[in-house]
Order: sequence, then C-alpha cells, then structure tokens
Amino acid sequence: MNRSFNKSQPLRPLELDAVEVKSKYGAEFRRFSVNRVKPGKFEEFFKLIMHIHRIANMEVMIGYADVHGDLLPINNDENFSKAVSTAHPLLRIFIQRQEEVDYSNFGTNTLTRKKKAVVPLRNDLNRKRPHIRIGMPQDFRPVSSIIDVDILPESHRRVRLYRHGSDKPLGFYIRDGTSVRVTPHGLEKVPGIFISRMVPGGLAESTGLLAVNDEVLEVNGIEVSGKTLDQVTDMMIANSHNLIVTVKPVNQRNNVVRSSRISGSSGQSSDSSGSGSFPAITHSPSTATVSHSYAHDDLDSDEESDIVIESSVSRPSRRSNTSHVHLQTSSATPSPPSPPTRPQSRPPSVISTASFHSQPSLNGTAHNSLSYRLHRDLNLQQPHYHSTSTRESNGSLHKILSSLRTDPRNSLALPPGGVEEDGMVITL
Amino acid sequence: MKFRFRRQGNDPQREKIKQDLFAFNKTVEHGFPNQPSALAYDPKLQLMAIGTKSGAIKVYGSPGVEFTGLHKDTATVTQMHFLHGQGRILSLLDDNTLHLWEIGQREQCSSLEEVCSFTIPCRTAVCASYFSPYSATRVTVLLPKLNCDLLAVGTEGGGVHFLELPSLTLLDKSLFQDEIMQRWEALFVFSLGPVESLQEHPQHPDKILIGYSRGLVVLWDLQTRHVDNLFLGKQQLESLVWERSGNSFVSSHSDGGYMVWSVSSSTPCTNEPVSSTITYGPFPCKAVNKILWRTAESGAPLVLFSGGMPRASYGDRHCLTILQDSQHVTLDFTSRVIDFFTVHCTDAHKFDDPSALVVLLEEELVVIDLQTAGWPTIPAPYLAPLHSSAITCSYHISNVPTKLWERVVSAGQQQGSLQTHTNWPICGGKNLAPDPKQQELMLTGHEDGTVRFWDASGVSLRPLYKLSTANIFQTDCDHNDSLTQAGEEEWPPFRKVGCFDPYSDDPRLGIQKICLCKYSGKLVVAGTAGQVIVLYLSDEKSDHMIDVATVDLLQDREGFTWKGHDRLPPKSGSVVFAPGFQPVVLVQCMPPAAVTAVTLHAEWNLIAFGTSHGFGLFDYHRRSPVLARCTLHPNDSLAMEGPLSRVKSLKKSLRQSFRRIRKSRVSGKKRVQEANAHLAEQDAEVTPVQRRIEPRSADDSLSGVVRCLCFADTFLRDGTHHGPTMWAGTNSGSVYAYALDVPSQEKFSEQSVEALLGKEIQLMHRAPVVSIAVLDGRGNPLPEPYEVSRDLAKAPDMQGSHSVLIASEEQFKVFMLPKVSAKTKFKLTAHEGCRVRKVALVNFSSVASEDYSENGLVCLTNLGDIHVFSIPALRPQVRYDCIRKEDISGIASCVFTKTGQGFYLISPSEYERFSLSARVITEPLCQVRHSERGSGLDGTKITGSSVKNSR
Repeated sequence: MNRSFNKSQPLRPLELDAVEVKSKYGAEFRRFSVNRVKPGKFEEFFKLIMHIHRIANMEVMIGYADVHGDLLPINNDENFSKAVSTAHPLLRIFIQRQEEVDYSNFGTNTLTRKKKAVVPLRNDLNRKRPHIRIGMPQDFRPVSSIIDVDILPESHRRVRLYRHGSDKPLGFYIRDGTSVRVTPHGLEKVPGIFISRMVPGGLAESTGLLAVNDEVLEVNGIEVSGKTLDQVTDMMIANSHNLIVTVKPVNQRNNVVRSSRISGSSGQSSDSSGSGSFPAITHSPSTATVSHSYAHDDLDSDEESDIVIESSVSRPSRRSNTSHVHLQTSSATPSPPSPPTRPQSRPPSVISTASFHSQPSLNGTAHNSLSYRLHRDLNLQQPHYHSTSTRESNGSLHKILSSLRTDPRNSLALPPGGVEEDGMVITL
Repeated sequence: MKFRFRRQGNDPQREKIKQDLFAFNKTVEHGFPNQPSALAYDPKLQLMAIGTKSGAIKVYGSPGVEFTGLHKDTATVTQMHFLHGQGRILSLLDDNTLHLWEIGQREQCSSLEEVCSFTIPCRTAVCASYFSPYSATRVTVLLPKLNCDLLAVGTEGGGVHFLELPSLTLLDKSLFQDEIMQRWEALFVFSLGPVESLQEHPQHPDKILIGYSRGLVVLWDLQTRHVDNLFLGKQQLESLVWERSGNSFVSSHSDGGYMVWSVSSSTPCTNEPVSSTITYGPFPCKAVNKILWRTAESGAPLVLFSGGMPRASYGDRHCLTILQDSQHVTLDFTSRVIDFFTVHCTDAHKFDDPSALVVLLEEELVVIDLQTAGWPTIPAPYLAPLHSSAITCSYHISNVPTKLWERVVSAGQQQGSLQTHTNWPICGGKNLAPDPKQQELMLTGHEDGTVRFWDASGVSLRPLYKLSTANIFQTDCDHNDSLTQAGEEEWPPFRKVGCFDPYSDDPRLGIQKICLCKYSGKLVVAGTAGQVIVLYLSDEKSDHMIDVATVDLLQDREGFTWKGHDRLPPKSGSVVFAPGFQPVVLVQCMPPAAVTAVTLHAEWNLIAFGTSHGFGLFDYHRRSPVLARCTLHPNDSLAMEGPLSRVKSLKKSLRQSFRRIRKSRVSGKKRVQEANAHLAEQDAEVTPVQRRIEPRSADDSLSGVVRCLCFADTFLRDGTHHGPTMWAGTNSGSVYAYALDVPSQEKFSEQSVEALLGKEIQLMHRAPVVSIAVLDGRGNPLPEPYEVSRDLAKAPDMQGSHSVLIASEEQFKVFMLPKVSAKTKFKLTAHEGCRVRKVALVNFSSVASEDYSENGLVCLTNLGDIHVFSIPALRPQVRYDCIRKEDISGIASCVFTKTGQGFYLISPSEYERFSLSARVITEPLCQVRHSERGSGLDGTKITGSSVKNSR
C-alpha cells in the first residue's frame, strides 16, 4: 500500500496552487498539502492519510469541514476534489475510526459498503437538521425514482422501485376500487386498482412516492385497466425485482411541473435520446428518497440473471447436499446473485436519510437506455432535459428543486382523457 | 413493450400458417352428466335424452351419436318427453316453463335447437280451486299424445290443460276438477289434489287416464269431454301405467304398494282394484315413485318399480325392484334413482317383451338385460361414471401401440363379471365419425387407489381396464367381501349394481401421479402416502411377493418431524394378481408425504419421484435407490404437516360448508339469488379485498415441493458428450440437473447407476417450476424412451447444441446446454398478469399439408386461457379462453395430448374435451333420421342459433 502510494502520489507541497491540509486523528494532527488543481484520486489520498497517521489496516472514515462548517465525508474522487477545491484556505480533515463514527454528525457511513453490515443511519431523528444533507453516489443503492416525467400527464407519476439486494419488503397492498374518469360522455365510474396500505418501514413507504389511495394505472408499462386485482398482483410480483408503477397520486400537490424552459436553460439536452429522469424528492424530512442507480445495475436490471451452480467436483452425490460448488452467474450481467445463496457480498445499506442528489455522470446512459426501452413505442423524440447538475454548481441543484416545486394550477388542470382530478378517490 | 413490439408487423403468410395449425373447439363431453334430473326415451328413433339441473339436455343414441342443448336459463330440467319419431323434445323446467327442442342437422353434426317455449298464463279465473294450497298453474306432469298433435299438461291445481303441438298454443279445452266433481256427485272431497299422472290409452288415442294425488283416477275422453270411468283409489297416488291391451292399468302409491285396476265400460265407477300388493310390507314402506308393467310373451308380466322399501330397515336405500313370477331382484344402487324406462316393442306386437331396463341414477346410468336369465348388466359404451371414486389425477397417452392396446383390452375383458355382451339397446342415429387414426388412452387416478384405463380415441370414453393398488397394502377394507357374501340370503333379495362408490377406504391410497411407458408396458403409479409403485403388464396370473424399498428424502436433515399420516403398510406375504398390470417394486418415500411428481425411463430402468420434501431416483431393475435429495428450506414448517393435517382439513371443511351454504342459496328462487348477489356486492364494498405486493422469498412455505421431473439424453457436462440426465424443478424456482451414469443393457445387473449433480439453477424470480423439457439442436422436443432405439421416431439432432426449456409459473426460459446460458424467454405474468398452471409440448400439424407440422408450447393459465408459443423462440402464437377462471378444479385437472387436444373436468364426473389443433379434432359427427315433422311451425323455425354447452 505504502509503496504504491509513494510511487504515484505527486505531492508538491510548495507550489502555489497547493492546498494546505490539516488532518486530525484523535488528538494527533498532521499537516501536509495537496494540489488544488489536480488533487488526484481519492484512493491515493486515502492511502496518504493512512500512511501519514500510521493507521494502515484500520477502518477509518475521512471527513472534512466544508465552508459552512458542516462535516462532510470524503470517500470518492468527486467529493475529494470538491473538498480540495472548496478548501478555504485550509482543508480540515477529520479521521474517525469506523466504530466510533458519530453518524449524527456525519452524513453517511461511507466505507461500509464492502465491509460491514448496516448500522442504522437514522438515529438522529431527535436532532433535526434543517437542511438537506447530501450523500455520495456510490454509497447509495437506488431505491426509487420518478421516471418519464416528460411523457406522462402531470397528474400521473411513474415510480420505479428497485428492490435488488434489499432486505426491505416492498411493503404495499393494493385493492379494487372505483375511479371517476372524464369521457366525452361525461363522468364515468370505472373500476380501478388502488394502493390500499403501506407497510411501515417498507420500501414503498420509505420512498414517499407512493401513498394510500393512489390509483395504479400501469405496471411496467402495461395498463391495468380491465385486469383483475389478482392479475395486477401477479404482474407486480412478477416484476418485483424492478417494479415500475404508474400511479395517479391521490395527493396532487407534489406533482412534478413539466417545463421545457428549464431544460433549455440548463443547456444539457445534447445527449437526449430518451426522456428525462427525475429523482424523487420528499415532502417531509422524515421520509426520504434517494434516486438513481449504478450504471451497471441499470443496464440490465430488467434482466434478472438466474444463478447456475455448477458442480465442479464430479463425485457421486448420494449426499449431495454438501457437495462442493462454486458460484457463477449465468448471463453476462454483473449484477449480484440472489440474496439467499450468495455470500454476504453486499450489505444492505439502506439509505433513508432525507437527502437528495442527482448524479448525471453515472446515471445518464443507464436511464436513457431504460426509458428508451420503455418509450420507443411512443416514438418520443422531444428534447429531454436532464438533471445535469454537478456538485460544482449549486445553481443547477436549485434549478431542479424549483422544477420539482408544486404548481397548484397545474395539478388541478385536467389532462384530456385523463383521470378526473379532485384529489380524492371515490370508493363506494 | 418488447411484447407489443414483437406482435407488430403481422406477417400475412405467417397468419395463414397459424390458421392452418391452430383452432380452438370444445368438442365433446366425456363421462356422466353432473346432477341429472330427467330422462326420456324415444322408442322410434331409439334416442335417449338426459336433462340436468343446470338446464342441459344431452341426447345419446348409438355409440358416437350424441349432442347437447342448453336452456338459456340455468334451471333444473324436471321432465322431458320425446315427440316420438319427430326428433323433437319437450322439456319442463323447474321455473315452470315448457320448451320445445328440435334435432337439427348441420353438415355432419346433429344439434339440438330450442324452437319455442311456453308458460301457462296465470289467470285468476283459471285458478278454479282457490282454496287449494297448490299453485294452480304449476305444471306437474306432461303427456304428449302419441300422434304428436296434442300435449296434455297436468297442474298442481288439479287442472289439465291442452296445448297444440308443435306450436305450444293453449287450446281452450282445459279440464278442471270442478267439472269432474260436478258430474259425479259421489265425489264430496274438496279437492282431488294435483294431477299426479297422465297416461294415454294404448288403444284409444282420445282417452287419457288422469290420476290425482289424493287417489282418484279418471279415464277421460277428449272427444266427448266425458268421464268414461272413475276409479276411487284410497291411497295417495304416485304413478300410473297402462297394461298394453288397455284393459287394465296399475297404480303405485305412497304406502309402498301398487294396485291393478281393470277397465271395463260396464262399470263406470270402480271402488276396488283387482289386486293390491305391498311388496315389502307389512311394516310401513316408502312410496313407490314409479311403476312399469310390461307384458312378456314368455309368461307373467314384468313389474318394475322404484322405491317401496321398508321404511325402518332399508328406507335409505336406493332400490329398484324387478318382479316376474317368482323371480324377484332388488337392485341396490349407490345413488338416487332419477328415472327409468324399458326398451320394449312398441309396434303392433301383442306383447311388450322388454329387452332392457335403463335406470338413470344420480351418479351413473345402469342398463339391465331383461332377456338374459339373471338380468345381468350391460356395460354402457358411454356415460361412464368417471367419478365412481373421486378423480385425483389424469394422464393421457397418444398414439398407443396396438400391442399394448390389445393387451390392456384383454386384461380388462377378463375383469368383467356379471356383464353381458348383448348389443347396446339404445342405438338410434348414425355415427358418421371416421374411425380414429390412432388409439388414445386416458388414465385416471382415483381416491380409492385405482387407476382406470379409458379408450379416449373417439367421442365416447369407454372403460377398458381397472387397476387397483389397494390390494398390495394392509387396509381396513379387506373384510368387505365377506359382508356381501352373507347378504345372499337376506330379504329383500338385494343385488348391488353400479360402480359409483364415493367412499374411500383410506385416503392415503389416493393416486397422485401416473407415468406409463407405452412401448414397454411399464407403469409407475404414485400416491398420497408417498408410495411409488412400479408395475408391468403381464398376460398371466401371478402370485408373488412385492419388493419394498424405503427412500429417506429428508437425508438426515435435522429439526424436522413429520406430523402427517403414516405410510401404508405393505402386505407381507405373496399376493395374487390377475392378468394386467402387476406390481414389481414398491418404493415408499419417507416422510410419507404425497408424491408430487413422478417420471419413468423404461430404457434406463429408472424412476424418479418427488414429494414436498425432496426427490429420489430409483433403479427398479436392481431394486436399489440411486439418489435422494432433500429440497426443504430450513424455515419451511408447513412441509411437515402433511396433506391430511388437522389444521388444513378443518379449514377445508369450513370452506366446503360455506360453499354448500352459498350453493343452496343460489339454487333458490331467482329473486333470492339477486338479493344475495346484491348483498355480496355490498359486503365486498364494505371490506375491500387487499392483495399484498411482495416478491416471492426463499422461505415461503412449501418451497421445497418438487413440481416436475424429467429424464433426457443430453449435454450436461460438456458440449461434446451427451448422456442420460435427470432434471428436477421445485416450488421455489430451483432446478437440479444430474448427470447419470447408466450401464449398458447387458450390464444392468452388475453395474449400478450413478448420479452426479451437474447443475443447480436458481431462477431469480423464484416462481414454481411447472415443467422442464430438453430440446434438441433443431429445437424439437426429445423423443420418448425406446422411440429412437426401436426406430419409431426420428432421431434427435445430437450435433447442434441442445437447450432446456424451463417453464415456471411466471415465465418460460430456454437455456443453452451445457452452459445453461439464457437464450430466449417470455415473461407471461409480467405481461398478462396470469400465472402458468399447465404446460405441454405439442405437435401441431397443418390442415393444409399432411407433412407440415410445428412444435408448440401450450400453456394453460390460472385465468383459464390457453396460450400457444413457438419453440424455441417462445413467440406467442394464439390465445384462447377455455375454462372459467373460477373453475379451479377444471384448471387443475387439465391435461393436454401430444397432438393438440386437451381434457378438463367440468364436473366431478365429466371431462370436457377440447382441441387446439386445426387438424386433430375428435368431435361427434352423427346423423339422426326422423320422420317428417308436422307443419305447425313453417317459417317460424329458428335455425342457426348454435346451442352449445358453454361451461
């Protein structure tokens, strides 16, 4: 470790664009500097820290104090370069041992992903922090997202729930009901499927994107009208690894307002081959959502790969229960194998802090491929706008937030042929 | 979306090919109609009609001649009458409507079409006896005159109305009780009661005998509107029948007796009968519901009556008595007698000379040969009581080799006893269907441990052979024979007739799975108590011990204790077996849970079987187990309960009783029905049904149930060497593939079979694996054992790469072998919201060209619809609605044939046969020739409306 660091780390502490670093581990301080323009890779920085503090082989977490005095984590290239670039003038680093990390101060549990089982992240309910905290892309597993905002009526919401690798139950129930639709002949009562119950702590509830009495309109692109409750149940279960439900939310006040002006001003429609993708936001700090996914997860998340265990040892298996096996996934998808048989390869790091982030660089292609697939039959080629904000520009974040702001006028508008909207479902 | 995409661009050429390959038809119903309620016979056309509680009329003639009509309303058919020789049927429903049906001929198909219907108008003026407790217009009896121009209708109010036939128009010559009472001052009763019987005088068509419930019988002259004779019966009347000459008639009564009355013009009022007999007296007897009096050239007349049994001792028996001189037989049936008739001479003969007695029981049809001494039964060529013991599984074998067929038939013939081979007496109509091209066997497994072999080649399902597996176990039922022996001496002289026996001696005997090798005559039968019996067909009687082996499927898995039933104890000594299928080995699974899957490879001498705990492989040649594998998930507690557990049965019985309550409500009046429906709706709205959306997880209960097993000669270990393999699929989406080391034919005895676990596949969606099949390099299913070695089928392509088709409840997937890499798939549930229940690989041949055929994957879903997919591309081809989705037992019982037909149970006793192939269709093609019909309905004949039973 140290050797490799020594070879590669281009430390030039005396240059002008150097950033002074003050690193604190327990009561010990170390001072050194990094290049502000080319801070290098996080991995190298991490090794440097470990080296300097002589704490190799310890599980530690690195944080820094940002300009606002908040403690933020450093655990990848991006936030490392962010930390270096915003250091003013001193970059104050805090090193904490993994087991001592105070999560209430610290945004997230960064390095646990590959190493440790989850520690409840939300023991800070009493100590409310007023602002949105931002987590790191890699640390999060996507749990849900709002997709296809640009092609759906504003009163509808298409929610994608990612259950891959999660131990959380999907956690909702559906029921039969009656909804009122506007037709050329006036109002018409039609049977519909509604969300009837949320399991507390379930995935569906924790996303905040689905609510009791939301009407289910589509399941993975297939309309549910004319289908029985049992059919819709079976469809949802069959798609449960990657469930996309289109609902008409009973509460229409949090609708996404579509506006292509935002898209234009962001100037990021260059690679628009599909449709926009909106991360979920929350209306209360306690329910939280995190959106987006890893590119590789997304590429083929529609494709579940079955696990094939091949017996490498040819031996009579009268007692084959214990025969030696090695695991291999059958298809080309690198997604993790099924939970029960695989070793604990990925701890179910459940993300539920009230955080929001967007990460275009990672999710762009992935989402496009998905939404492309979803909508090529609609043949939509309208320029989509993209959540292109990067961490460098706080402005773009605000843009997205503003685009997600409620517009009461819009939510009350009746899309032609759509569902009659008065915010409540009529159930007889 | 992918799905929709695929469907786009319908290639017209492909559409034409599809039209030539696929067509959906419900062709014929096999078995015995559920809940029959009425019987009729036309001696001129020699056709028999059976009406049911669901409003169906089924007409049968000679074997192969059958057709069905269904009333628009689901009401019980209470009476039916043929208009003799005209091909018309009159039916009376319990909603008091009369319907007239005509037998029509369309191309080669006879059909039954409703022509008109009639309800007696309720006019208060008509209700003569307003003080009567009966509804004046409620029809009790019908009498169509033999010359078919007039219908007499008796009512509860005691009136007799006359309708013109065939128009069913009410004529203004109704006869009311007042008329009779006025003319005969001797009658001082208030009411005569409902009209109980109407009988036309055999010699004078203008005279009819009217029997009233309270006992009065009058001979009424239609022409003169005058009472010719009056018979003052004192007993409650049940039925009347004329003696052929018209000089006397017989009445049967509620006290269990019958009286013979003589008719003479000299005594217009008779007080006493010629004779009065209570056959089973002197103690109180039940009513004689119906009596027939048939004269015979050979001597004394035959008296046939139903009921009349001594109330205290045999009041619960369903009996029919045949009396002739000193001969007396009491036919003892296991179900209620609905109706009966005799087949006898009706033309200008002097005597009736009945040749056969046909008895319709609630659960079967029994025909007695009245011309042969001892009155033996005549086996029916149709209307087989499939449900003589409840059907627990069905298995179909297409294209049965003649050799096996003949041996099964001869084994069956040796079983028949007390049966004559007299010609079937009901032989109207002409069967136009060509002889079946191939023999087809249908095997049904029953609750009592029997397997019945049926000839399913044609329209009528004919019993061939019955195999009983109960005799190899020690059960409590063994003393039964001695009981019937003792019964010989008793009075009345009972004779057990019929085979309907709903009582199972031991539910563990129930047959769960069947597998037959049609080339070697090897049969595997597996049952509820984990018994797997290997049998072979032998033409000789045998007396041998059965080898017993026990296979522990738990494999030392700890923490499991079986709480279900015990295994069946096998008989210790040697057992005598009649020619037919004789057991070789009995394998008993431990724990003795019901066998859920079984398969046989006769060429390798191997059987594989699975239960809810695991699966095993057994070499029946060496009598040695090869492999046992536990599939239980550690958290699965339900697997240990067993099917007969207390919890479950309580649940079941509760459910059943609720169902019964619901059923009884439905059968009530319509208004009640509607009200109930309304109530049910309201109920549903108060507490909406919820469904939990949760993916299947590994520890769902019963995840270890083995759902399917298959043998295949394919590539499992590498792409160059193929060899025997065995595949098993479970309820939790796991597939286990074993490479088998099977010694060559000569070394079977020396070398043992080895099984090596080759692959384990866990389907990510964890849905139960419904079926596994291996496809050859051309994408065709592998042939059956022996087909290649005996040159019976084209050898599979062993050059190209094989693939395995795994059908789960949610999707179909084709994996390449030996790598098991996914090739194609179709996610049915994700697209359609339906789950796969049954699948089969079927060869569809084209109607356009003899030698063009395609293999398809046929799939029945939980919604009761059938999808056909191409293989191995898994492209959807056609979809048909087949079974109502509420009909769970229908869906569960469905079996497909290899050539695109299928069967499912529409009632416990009936299979509906359907066809998916445009070419292979087994349907009744028949013709009924009837005399010219009267001209009453010119121009008003309703045609073209196909009356089909659409259950």
